[in-house]
Amino acid sequence: MIRIAAVGDLHYGAGSTDILRPSLDRLPERADLLLLAGDLTRCGGTDEISVLADDLRRARLPVVAVLGNHDYQSNMEDDVRRVLEDAGVTVLEGEAVTLEINGRTVGVAGTKGFGGGFRGAHGTDFGEPEMKAFVGHTKMLADRLEQALNSLRADFRVALLHYSPIETTLEGERLEIYPFLGSYLLAQAIDNAGADLVFHGHAHHGTEKGRTPAGIPVRNVAQPVIRHAYNVYTLGTAPSAVVHPSKEAPAALRTGTGSSA
Amino acid sequence: MSKRPDYVPEHIRERLIHDPRVAEQDLKVEVQEGRVLLGGNVATPQIRDRITEVARELLPDYQIVNETTVVPSGEPDDEEPVS
Repeated sequence: MIRIAAVGDLHYGAGSTDILRPSLDRLPERADLLLLAGDLTRCGGTDEISVLADDLRRARLPVVAVLGNHDYQSNMEDDVRRVLEDAGVTVLEGEAVTLEINGRTVGVAGTKGFGGGFRGAHGTDFGEPEMKAFVGHTKMLADRLEQALNSLRADFRVALLHYSPIETTLEGERLEIYPFLGSYLLAQAIDNAGADLVFHGHAHHGTEKGRTPAGIPVRNVAQPVIRHAYNVYTLGTAPSAVVHPSKEAPAALRTGTGSSA
Repeated sequence: MSKRPDYVPEHIRERLIHDPRVAEQDLKVEVQEGRVLLGGNVATPQIRDRITEVARELLPDYQIVNETTVVPSGEPDDEEPVS
C-alpha cells in the first residue's frame, strides 16, 4: 500500500509557518510521500518559498512538487525551483520521478498545466498571437505531461498538476472563469497515457472529487477545498487496484524522464 | 481609480490581487452605501487583517466589513482508499 499526502495552494509568505509546520513531524506516520500541487507562494518570491523550504527540510519523507501560477508572478520561477530543490524537494515540469516505497514503486509525472476550458467550450490557438500563445502553452504542457506519464514504469502512476484537467472538481467556482482554471487537454493527455490517480489545486472554491472521461480518479487538493493541512490517499488497498508492469528496476529516486521546461 | 461606484469593487479586487501583503485572487467584494463588504476564504488570520488594511488604504472614507473566513489547516482524521 502507498499512502500519499497531498495539498496545493499553500500560498506561503512571511509568517505562514502555521499552515504545514505543525503537521510535518507526524506526517511520516501518516504518509509515505508528500505531493504539493502548486501555488506554494503568494507572489513567487524567493523570500516566500524559503519559508516553505525551511519547513520541508524537517520533513522525513520524500516531497514532490509542481509550481503554480502564483509561483511565476515575480518571474523568478527558476529561483523558486532551486530553493525547493536545495531543500530536497523534487520539482517537476514535464518531468517524472519514480520512488520505491515499501517494496513497490510509485511514479509521479508533473506539470503546472494551464487553462483553455473544457470540451465544447475550449479556446483555440487561432487569431491573435496572444490567443495562439495562450492555448499553445496548454498544448505544449499537456504533450509533455503525456510523455512524462508514458516514460514511467512503476507499480502506480500519479499525475500531479496545478490547473484542473476536468470540470467536475471545479464545481463551486463561477462558470465564467472555468477557462482560467484548467483544460480538457490535460485530461486527454492523462487518459491517453493512463494513470492511477490525478491531483490538482488552483480551484479554491471547487470540489474535491472527480474522474477523467476514462474514469481515472481526480482529487482537487487546494487547501481551501480539503480544509486540512493535507489529505491522505492510499493506492493498492482495493482488490481492483491497477498494477502496471515494471520493465526496469527503479532507483530509489530517479528524475528527468520527460521533456524539461 | 474610476470615480464611478460601478467599478469600485473591481478596483479593490485588483488591488487585493496585486498587493503582495494579500495576493488573493478569490475574494468577493461588494460596495453598498459607503460600506465595503469583503468575503471569501483566507489562509491565515494575518492575511485577513492585511485585507482590511489594504481596503482601508484604498477607500479611507468607507466602512470596511471584512467577512472573510480563515480556512482550517489541521491534520485529517482519516485517509481515502482510492484503489
